[in-house]
Amino acid sequence: MTNSRRCLTRCDGITRRDILRVGGLTPLGLGLGHWFAQRHTPADDKRPSPPRSCIMIWLDGGPSHLETFDLKPRAAAEVRGPLMPIQTSVAGIQIGECLPRTAQMADRVAIIRSLTSPLGEHNFGTHYLMTGHKPTPVLEYPSLGSVLAVSRPQHSVLPPHVAIPNFRVGGGRLSGGAFLPASAHPFAVGGDPSRADFRVRDLDFYRGLDIARLDRRRRFLRQLDAFHRRSDAGEVPADPAFEQAYQLISSQQATQAFNLSDEPAATRQRYGRKQVGQCCLLARRLVERGVGFVTVNQRGWDTHNAMYTRLKEGYAGAKVPVGLIPSLDLALSALIEDLHDRRLLDQTLIVVMGEFGRTPKLNTLGGRDHWPRVFSALLAGGGVTGGQVIGASDAVGESPLDRPVTPSDLAHTLYRLLGVDPASELTTPDGRPVRITPAEGQAIGELMS
Amino acid sequence: MGQDAAGSATRGEKETVTSGSPLWLSLPLVAGLAVSAQAGAPIDFDTEIVPVLTHAGCNAGACHGAAIGRGGFKLSLYGSDPASDYRSVVLDWEGRRVNLAQADESLLFLKSTESIAHGGGARLDLDGPGATRLLKWIRAGAPRLQKRRLVDFSVAPASSLLEQPQATVTLTATAVFDDGTRSDVTRWTVFHSEDSSAVSIAGHRVRRRAAATGRHIVTARFLDRVVPLEFLVPRDAPRVQLPPQSQANFIDKHIHRRLEQLRLPPSTQTDDATFLRRVYLDLAGRLPESTQVRAFLADRHPEKRRQLVDQLLESPEFVENWTLILARLLRIQSQPNDQQGARTFHNWLKTQLEQRARYDRMAWQLLTAQGDTHASGPPNFFRVVNGAREQAEYVSELFLGVRLRCANCHNHPLDHWTQDDYHGLAAVFARIERGRIIRPLDRGEVTHPRTGQPAQPRIPGAHFLQTAGDQRAALADWLIADGNPYFARALVNRLWKQLMGRGLVSPTDDLRTTNPATHPALLQALADDFIRSGFDIRHSLRTIASSAAYARDSRPTKANASDDRFYSHALVRPLDPEVLVDALSDVTSVPEIFGDLPAGSRAVSLFDPKTPSTALDILGRCSRASSCESLSSGPSGLARTLHLINGKLINDKLGAPQGFLRQFLNSPNTDSQLIEELYLRSLCRLPMEQERQYWLSELGTADTGSERRQIAEDFMWSLLSCREFLTNH
Repeated sequence: MTNSRRCLTRCDGITRRDILRVGGLTPLGLGLGHWFAQRHTPADDKRPSPPRSCIMIWLDGGPSHLETFDLKPRAAAEVRGPLMPIQTSVAGIQIGECLPRTAQMADRVAIIRSLTSPLGEHNFGTHYLMTGHKPTPVLEYPSLGSVLAVSRPQHSVLPPHVAIPNFRVGGGRLSGGAFLPASAHPFAVGGDPSRADFRVRDLDFYRGLDIARLDRRRRFLRQLDAFHRRSDAGEVPADPAFEQAYQLISSQQATQAFNLSDEPAATRQRYGRKQVGQCCLLARRLVERGVGFVTVNQRGWDTHNAMYTRLKEGYAGAKVPVGLIPSLDLALSALIEDLHDRRLLDQTLIVVMGEFGRTPKLNTLGGRDHWPRVFSALLAGGGVTGGQVIGASDAVGESPLDRPVTPSDLAHTLYRLLGVDPASELTTPDGRPVRITPAEGQAIGELMS
Repeated sequence: MGQDAAGSATRGEKETVTSGSPLWLSLPLVAGLAVSAQAGAPIDFDTEIVPVLTHAGCNAGACHGAAIGRGGFKLSLYGSDPASDYRSVVLDWEGRRVNLAQADESLLFLKSTESIAHGGGARLDLDGPGATRLLKWIRAGAPRLQKRRLVDFSVAPASSLLEQPQATVTLTATAVFDDGTRSDVTRWTVFHSEDSSAVSIAGHRVRRRAAATGRHIVTARFLDRVVPLEFLVPRDAPRVQLPPQSQANFIDKHIHRRLEQLRLPPSTQTDDATFLRRVYLDLAGRLPESTQVRAFLADRHPEKRRQLVDQLLESPEFVENWTLILARLLRIQSQPNDQQGARTFHNWLKTQLEQRARYDRMAWQLLTAQGDTHASGPPNFFRVVNGAREQAEYVSELFLGVRLRCANCHNHPLDHWTQDDYHGLAAVFARIERGRIIRPLDRGEVTHPRTGQPAQPRIPGAHFLQTAGDQRAALADWLIADGNPYFARALVNRLWKQLMGRGLVSPTDDLRTTNPATHPALLQALADDFIRSGFDIRHSLRTIASSAAYARDSRPTKANASDDRFYSHALVRPLDPEVLVDALSDVTSVPEIFGDLPAGSRAVSLFDPKTPSTALDILGRCSRASSCESLSSGPSGLARTLHLINGKLINDKLGAPQGFLRQFLNSPNTDSQLIEELYLRSLCRLPMEQERQYWLSELGTADTGSERRQIAEDFMWSLLSCREFLTNH
């Protein structure tokens, strides 16, 4: 608790706004690490534990809480659907039958069953869940990963916020980084990590190029920018986008991080050969090397029709179910176990959620429509007290019955777990202070030991 | 203050009513009369109780105003439907929500004051004016008198200048009803600051907060009306005065007034070379050739900028570029296994621009189109989206600049659009057979979700149409009529954004009462001017490109660096992906190849956004699957930058044997000539002496021909990757 409540900035006597200002002036906010080091005072008797990373498995489109983490076996057929709950390793906790591996790790995960939001449109809901703020017409708020990128020192040349395979979430309106510098925006690796020939696009040198020539190009580019911006508005900063790309290309460590073929075949198998599995494996490689936030984007959860085929079998008549939930089950359970084996689980917060849940009653197309009033999320690792369920929905999964949790509350909780004060402020380019979470949210105390 | 007046009235009445008389025995109407006789006017549910519920937040979207209510109690969103609210409050549940016998035992009262458990907490103070009014109304028999309707709602002051750091403004809200009464309704008006870190609200008082320079909006809601209030916070700096002679046309009058109000001193006018590049990119979607740059710089004619604008507006490149811009807006795209429709649609659009078609005629043709999508362009308008509701959303975004989507499930909370408007507009498009042939049908309807009945065709915000027959022409006539408040504004706002970098209303598909323009009078003036010109797109573009605001330098001064919407300096805009790719081809003289199209095809001329091109994908072209207008910057800077550094887009072109660089290096040219030519081609200006010296010394370090080539390639690469090249500035 003390750890998660720590506020790096206040201890150093630096405000968030100073950081942002510095972040804006230095290339990509690298160099912040040095800056922090210099300001670290001996009065700080307790060594801060290394900052936690976060892997957010985003179930894009809105996963059905009634088929995953909050089943209603006693409800009428049009509510409960064909999937049944199974017992988990923790007495009294049941989850959906397509999650047998995750069920065996229930002692390491916490399930929230009383998330509630008024926003049932993809873009709006995604904005609320990913930023903790309801969308407003005046400002896009930055997502957690991007706030984290500017709030903490970066120890790695890897981008601080990586999206695998991309950040096309919730209808595509959300940039993730909003008004923050480009270096804090999610970096989409592109391509498909489940393919044998997967490479991060344009990370390898173009033929004939080498580091010497890249250095020269970098020098020329800076010179041109300096020639161009003769203004009285102050010093010309180096192009942060270029600097970030330069660091990435020129670092062996960085290029290595993306190399999935380094992983033993057994490991790759364990995560599942579907895209979400290989994305989670890549996410593990990245957090191991100091990436602060990884968004794994699993698309396809907007199941208005043919829901059971899409969620369970994957395609009609599949012998082994390879739908969205079984693929997630393989990936998630492997990720938790792998991180645990590497003693990284406590340092890595895993969040599984989407923008809303789905209607209690099945529709006429054998699907469920958008339902934000109550839905579920799963948390694991990163200091989360596992083996518990937070809140409950009513008998048909329609409304929160107990302990409603808003997306703002969730954002407060995640920031706390990641060691960032939810009350910290960012500054927009036009000088407005913006709280990273709305003041009315409250962290879920039970989740933090 | 109104609050006090209302408060004392209710308090007074409370005392008179507690006399213990068995009012509950009387019929509601009689009770109402009795109270009225005893203690002033009886309370009107529609105009006096609903505002209490709105003010307390009961009917907000997160509470009972949700489409399916909450906790079994449903109110219309923000009280937009008092008849149904009356049913919910008084009649449903066998009337248990109001207890006429014992008013303070009414569920409505107990819940809202949290005298018993209430999921929403205490919304009303037990002794406050809201609770008091509720009680009084219930004691009067909870009648629905329907004695008056709201006809006007206004808040004063509508615009305020907050000069002092802690300045406050007290707001007064006035409602006018159709029975001639006029009330101060400040106490029951909900004020909301769109940015509470800039201006905060306490009750009906607005306070300026620190670091708030700019213009801020507070919305005021009463019953079904929402009005925006504007608060201007000037810089803490000396006054700015701009002489009338610095205005080039009517645009500048409006722009300068704002700059003066906010004390934002503008940057200087830009130099000829930058103006040339800017206007080429904006109108023709391409860079000028080096000979054109030289000629323009050498031209001594005082009217040369105006002549340039006129000349570009008549060029075929203008047609190509603006066909792309409008095609993106119309979302022209191929169907699965059918490119012909998109090709026909694109060509139709191009012809319209070539022939200087009136924009209102174009819209009319699109809306009323029928026939073969392969043979004729306009029918494709009905293949862009799939159903009547989608068509209604598309049409309203495109021609009204309005997002009608919210009004699908409930009346629009931030504007005056109703479900009748949404489903009525959809009904207009329900009787169309959609396929390769577009033809009107006799049957076809959309179901109004509230009534469960077929929605009646309707012109949104105006009136219902006949139920029978194809009503598209009636809609089109209304749309393009001179008095239409949306059509012209929606387009000129987009033209403005294209040239100035930001819509006067932003985003450009969100014209709404509560999202007012930064310069409302300018938007109106541009729309009026557009209509007067005969809906001539070229005319409005010429007007904008001739203003002093358009020709400002993009480099900010210390004083105006934080401005991003008042045009104190030109806004730097990234080049559109298509324009950038073409520019790279032009500068290097190496064409980019698109799919299996012949070499030399230009990106701006592609009619189908699905034409294969990795470069365009990475640079973030609009897929046209939905509107691209409010998308943020596209893919991350990193993916794009990696592609510029290591991708084929630039690198392939630098070393191509037939490309400009190889050819130029293989001819007997000096380094100085190379520098000058590269600057002219890419940055459209001559190098400064300092620059020339720098590059001469860099190129001079080469010992061998291949080294010189590599340095030249790196030099050219940096020219094509620097901000000066990648942006229109």
